[in-house]
Amino acid sequence: MKTNGHLNYAIFFCQRLDPSQDTNRRALEKELGSHIRFFPMPCTGRVEALHLMRALESGADKVYVVTCASSTCRYREGNARAKKRLEFAQGLIEEIGLERERLEILPISSPPPVSVDTMARELMGRETKLSPSPLR
Amino acid sequence: MITAERKPLSEIKESIAPYKKMLIVGCGSCVAECASGGEKEVGLLASALRMDAKKENRELELLEMTLDRQCVFEFIDQLTELVDEYDAVLSLGCGAGVQAVAEVFPRAIIVPALNTTFLGQTKESGLWLENCRGCGDCKLAYFAAVCPVTRCAKGLFNGPCGGSKNGNCEVDPETPCAWALIVTRLEESGRLDALATIHPPAQWSRQQGKGPRKIVREDQRI
Repeated sequence: MKTNGHLNYAIFFCQRLDPSQDTNRRALEKELGSHIRFFPMPCTGRVEALHLMRALESGADKVYVVTCASSTCRYREGNARAKKRLEFAQGLIEEIGLERERLEILPISSPPPVSVDTMARELMGRETKLSPSPLR
Repeated sequence: MITAERKPLSEIKESIAPYKKMLIVGCGSCVAECASGGEKEVGLLASALRMDAKKENRELELLEMTLDRQCVFEFIDQLTELVDEYDAVLSLGCGAGVQAVAEVFPRAIIVPALNTTFLGQTKESGLWLENCRGCGDCKLAYFAAVCPVTRCAKGLFNGPCGGSKNGNCEVDPETPCAWALIVTRLEESGRLDALATIHPPAQWSRQQGKGPRKIVREDQRI
């Protein structure tokens, strides 16, 4: 599958989406090296704006927060909270002249399990107007 | 508690433009509770400033710190060994904190990153309401613990004004009418007759009559 090999990705995701996430993500991390970083979370409601800022600061060009579908969160509203925090972080990066699109929330529509490596390859293959971050 | 909001980044950038090495200091008390100046907010601002500097190829070194209280000398003292090593201190304390740090370090440059706003209550997560003006002449006992000076847009001691609709203020329909709250609370606690009392104007001299106020307690002094 074609990927945007010139971009670095950080993917925060709810680990309930993929019970085999540990094996699946490690394989892809090994293959792509510093181009991808996975951050499995017990629930994406744990995501803070600071996590997203630090991901960008550390060289990610694009950060995804992959959540359960709306109203299917195991903890009821973790995905809704993740969305609000991501939107807050989008406001912060806009203040410094970075594109909002560098942060994106992605609710998974299909029911779990979802293979995080397949999902990540799909995300990396998406067309994007983003160029490498000026912070690199 | 004292509430505050972060200044726009453009204003902060302008204030710190001459400096390359800064201490960025938060406060773990009121402004942490209102999510504007605690440890997380220090991290967020530092991250944004570092990214901004990198984007513009500017040199900027930041050391992040959060004091338990930025308005008390014993906590400010943690900065003593550090301040001289930095060009300036960017404070995420309230106005009292900024000034307290400035007083302890007379030669240091202290730059505020927050706009201090009001004395308030955390109504719910992410919602803070102004409910005390620090007038120095508290009348809550007469008004069922609802302050008409602060929470009535017209500051009426002898309300209601007659303009409220559905229990909300005519000045801001999203704000509960303080007098509707007062009457309801007095009624529910069987004290409605308290409304018959006419209250004289407030003693505003206690708030602003002699300039900045101070409290002296000899029993607390060392």
